[in-house]
Amino acid sequence: MLQLRDVSRAFELGGEKAGVFGVSLDAPEGKLTVLAGPSGSGKSTLLNLAGLLDEPDEGEVLLEGEPVSRLPEKARCDLRLRKLGFVFQAHNLVPVLSALENVMLPLQLQGASESEARRRASEALDRVDLSSRLHHRPGQLSGGQQQRVAIARALAPKPKLIIADEPTAALDHAHGEPLMALMRQLAREEGAAFLVASHDPAVIAQADRVARLADGRLAAVETNA
Amino acid sequence: MILARLALRSVARNRRRTLLTVLVVAAGFLAMALAGGFMTQTFTALSDAAIRGGLGHMQVMESKALQDQEDQSLQLALADGEALASKLRALPPVAEVLPRIQFMGLLTNGTRSVAYIGTAVDPAREPVFMAVNDHITDAQALPGGAGSRWLSPAPEAREALLGPGLAKSLGATLGSTLTLMATTKDGALNAVDVTVVGLLDQGVKELNDRALVTSLDTAGNLLDAGGARSRLSIMLKDPKQLDAGLAAVRGALGPGEAAVPWTDLAAFFKQVRMLYFFIFGFMGLVLFLVVWLATANTLLMSVMERVREFGVLRALGLQPGQLVRLLQWEGAALGCLGGLLGLVATLLLRAAANAARIEMPAPPGSAHGYPLHIEAVPLVYLGTFLFLQLTLQVAALYPGLKAAKLRIVEALRHV
Repeated sequence: MLQLRDVSRAFELGGEKAGVFGVSLDAPEGKLTVLAGPSGSGKSTLLNLAGLLDEPDEGEVLLEGEPVSRLPEKARCDLRLRKLGFVFQAHNLVPVLSALENVMLPLQLQGASESEARRRASEALDRVDLSSRLHHRPGQLSGGQQQRVAIARALAPKPKLIIADEPTAALDHAHGEPLMALMRQLAREEGAAFLVASHDPAVIAQADRVARLADGRLAAVETNA
Repeated sequence: MILARLALRSVARNRRRTLLTVLVVAAGFLAMALAGGFMTQTFTALSDAAIRGGLGHMQVMESKALQDQEDQSLQLALADGEALASKLRALPPVAEVLPRIQFMGLLTNGTRSVAYIGTAVDPAREPVFMAVNDHITDAQALPGGAGSRWLSPAPEAREALLGPGLAKSLGATLGSTLTLMATTKDGALNAVDVTVVGLLDQGVKELNDRALVTSLDTAGNLLDAGGARSRLSIMLKDPKQLDAGLAAVRGALGPGEAAVPWTDLAAFFKQVRMLYFFIFGFMGLVLFLVVWLATANTLLMSVMERVREFGVLRALGLQPGQLVRLLQWEGAALGCLGGLLGLVATLLLRAAANAARIEMPAPPGSAHGYPLHIEAVPLVYLGTFLFLQLTLQVAALYPGLKAAKLRIVEALRHV
């Protein structure tokens, strides 16, 4: 699904060179791939490149075998809308929209009718056990519920790849572990590739594959049984 | 529609700030709409004063009279104005033709003589279309004006109406007999005795000090005018069809005769309209700046508070252009709210101001003031609404472009 080919992205951070350097990595469909590593190891930078939010200095990002990282912004925007889903660390819902409207948002941006978007968003929220919170705004939901809404929003358009940056960072263990279990389950059922950045051992334990980063370089790729 | 819904919800997010911005927009609407209503009333009153003050919807005259001044009465007159008037009355767009003679001379009471500017009109036709009765009514409230009446239509009647200033300078009262002196069109000196039957207040002091109105028969006798007339004032059946009426009248004129619309003859109306347009334009510019600054500030603050949200929206696939449109929807929402509030305030304030019967001070050169009346003009309201919407779209452009130019990865890190 996603292939990173020798990608590099460097920037200055506190007077030192940081980023990712020559990383090659695949995120296969139906699998939960976790980017693991300490803070500053380049996890978020790599996710930004994989999610077409940033352009690599060198190397190439391939989506379904097609090079996509050098496309114009409009085309990358369109790819993000139609093929990618995002779950961020926190505060990633639009606060003035209800849970249902947040999930409807990417569907409507894709051109779905109001009724079609409402139906699919309701189904996605049902998949994450939030059918009783459809009309609650983010401020009326717990942190775990907000992240589940974000997952529903990422899933509803049926993307090929879902990118999640530290999705459990703002949650306690009791809420984080079920969330990751849900993501792994959805990866298998929906057939989408999940690429998750985390340094949380509980998240790493749920992964199908773990790519370990250190100082911006890929140190190892492990496959969990 | 999702962008419109998002914009509406975003506008409602910071209610106090939105309310302040909406009030600024409403105040802008109120100022423009009231000024527009006042301007419309002024234009209506001035055009009515010009048309019913004697010009008619157009005037027919000798072509040379357009450029040259007369050295003596009827020098540049229509040789057989009465015959031409009869011919023009038969034209379908024409409601009436009112011949007039303009002349000047001396008015004397036997011991004192004063120069006058005279207008001779048809006593039977004139009051039907012109505002002479209004002028008489105004004069009845003045000292010595009580009992004033219009000229008798009898051909043998030798009567005159005087401006209050002219009457005062001769010590004339109703019933006084004065002698009108003028040179005939052949240059001979002639005189006719007239009876003062009333005062005529035309609202302009300079006119009131010199003006005299008499019948065509009296002036014809004084000037030996025969059928000659200085001008023919033409009233149309449909004043909105001025161009069509003008074309019909011009088609019936002979060589050396010209028809001129009232808009070209009423210099005062044109000057006032230019002045008002300039004032209105300047006021519009000031309001544009005030509304632009207030709304741009609101929208810019909103953008700065929602950097992370915009980062999320962009990551989800919102195009930069859609983000600009989102801010324009927010500007449009502020404009609609402000416009509606402004419209309600305008209608209420207009009704209150009109009910208060406020008397405006006399304009320069005018003998008396006039009651304030602000008209309700839907076209002005619509124009003001569109103008404010345009201002808000301009104001939303910079915040929208700023939001669209945010780097997604930086926006997502924004705290």
